Amino acid sequence: MNEQQIAYRIKQCLNRGLELDAGKLVRLKAAREQALARQRVESRIPVLAWAGNIIGKSGGPSALVPRVLLPMAVLILGLIAINHWRDSQLAAEIEEIDAAVLTGDLPLDAYLDKGFDAWLKHSSY
Amino acid sequence: MSLLASRNELSEFLAGVERRAYKQAMFAVRNAENALDIVQDSMLKLAEKYGAKPIVELPMLFQRILQNTIRDFYRRQKVRSLWVTLFSALSPGREEESDPLETLESADASNTKDGPADRLEQYQVIELIDQYLERLPQRQRQAFLLRYWEEFDVAETAAIMGCSAGSVKTHCSRAAHALAEALRAKGVEL
Repeated sequence: MNEQQIAYRIKQCLNRGLELDAGKLVRLKAAREQALARQRVESRIPVLAWAGNIIGKSGGPSALVPRVLLPMAVLILGLIAINHWRDSQLAAEIEEIDAAVLTGDLPLDAYLDKGFDAWLKHSSY
Repeated sequence: MSLLASRNELSEFLAGVERRAYKQAMFAVRNAENALDIVQDSMLKLAEKYGAKPIVELPMLFQRILQNTIRDFYRRQKVRSLWVTLFSALSPGREEESDPLETLESADASNTKDGPADRLEQYQVIELIDQYLERLPQRQRQAFLLRYWEEFDVAETAAIMGCSAGSVKTHCSRAAHALAEALRAKGVEL
């Protein structure tokens, strides 16, 4: 008889010997129920899991306002302010150029003349 | 796509494996209360740490936890009382190098004449197998039960035991033949 055959016969005997007394079965059932009560269940929606994780790590919803939301609001307001300042700077520059062009001695048609443009490039060397 | 274990699925898995787990622990620690505690600890660890894992991963994870919990039990026992350790080192069952069934075999050889297999009741054979499994070296018993009772393949058994596939094959072969020899010496033909 080879190893596989021996193992198969012993396995059959082991399976037949799985009858346990009522006391042990009750203990095993209680252990199983205790384990199920503590089963770790992860959220199947990543966004919610992430949000839950942030809330959990920050110490609950009440701690979320000063720790997360306030800095985020400051950051967003700062970005809006920087963007507004850049737009106004750009508008001022354009206004300045327009004013210089309109009030200059050179007629506007000169800027549309390709020959004048070529002369400007040539003379700048 | 792998499915995560729901509460019912985990419950079914634990219900299906708990008796074999208890017997495995019993073979290892030889005390019903300690064996029940080991199974309970293993179930709790599985549910708490791996309760959200896919169902297909649970058998291997549970066996790994069970084997580690049994090993931790041995360690705690050693720390608690040194004399128990010394005693167990001398007694069969915990000895890795020697095969206690060899001595058992010679001691039981004289009984073969008046112990024919056909007169043994089924439960007696089961009792004998239980006894011999308890007396097997720990690693041999572990490999044999994981491989042939829990039906893991060689690679999975090696991963659970933290050893090579070659070691698993060796342990299984020795365990199977030692059990067969010991039973034969008692007049039990498998």
